[in-house]
Amino acid sequence: MISSLSVISQRIEGQSTTVLKLAGRLDATTVSQLERVLTDAQLLGDRVIVIDLSQLNYVSSSGLRVLLTGRSNARKRGGEIFLCSLRPPVREVFEMVGFTAVFTIFDTCEQAMEAAAAASGGG
Amino acid sequence: MMSSKLFTPSDKSLKIPARLDQLWRASAFVGDMAAVAGFQGVQLNQIELAVDEACCNIVQHAYAHRPNGEIDIRVQAERGRRIVITLVDTGEPFDPQAVPVHDPATSPDDLKSGGLGLFLIRRIMDDVQFEFNLPGLGLNQPKRFNRLTMIKYL
Repeated sequence: MISSLSVISQRIEGQSTTVLKLAGRLDATTVSQLERVLTDAQLLGDRVIVIDLSQLNYVSSSGLRVLLTGRSNARKRGGEIFLCSLRPPVREVFEMVGFTAVFTIFDTCEQAMEAAAAASGGG
Repeated sequence: MMSSKLFTPSDKSLKIPARLDQLWRASAFVGDMAAVAGFQGVQLNQIELAVDEACCNIVQHAYAHRPNGEIDIRVQAERGRRIVITLVDTGEPFDPQAVPVHDPATSPDDLKSGGLGLFLIRRIMDDVQFEFNLPGLGLNQPKRFNRLTMIKYL
């Protein structure tokens, strides 16, 4: 159970959107990986960041903090972070801290991508 | 009538270096003991999360300026009843009252990220007790130590 996180980042051309696919554990050991790609996406000027959590098994407060900061930075630039496909253990933590009311969360990533296209004016 | 075996406590301890890359060992160790006590599923995951948060606080705050610290983890699993987790460190005392209190009802744009770990620990565990600057008990013991006791009932 050694902590590891995989982050795959993909830009959607013409949509000012980056999609991040997280897999593994988002905790104090791994959170800098997400912090880095979130910063990169925001520096590139992407307004919408879709984060696919379908393969994320674990999140601790360190991960929650970076997501919250990412959301705050996105909104300062008129953008948004959309989360999709939370697995039950991760959703449980989001519910405990009240983040299901803080983030825009979609059941499926298809729904999140449709919302991203609408929000970025590309679809 | 329940058998007396049901309440036989199982007591184990583990000492880990206070480093973020070692925290998985604490969570796995406590998780195994929680399973012995009878916890499963979501509750098991949550107990592991509480231990991860507590150890992370120790690494990042108590031992912020001491790279060679250790965390002593003692777990008492009382089958069918409860788990008692005790974390001991010899780092800087930490005042939980000084940590901002996370309030899930706060408006999203006013939400601060501080206090999330402590909030999760208190939300998950039934009883949480911080003790600081306790005097050491023996010649080879540190002069002062901090102790966090967390209890979860089935």
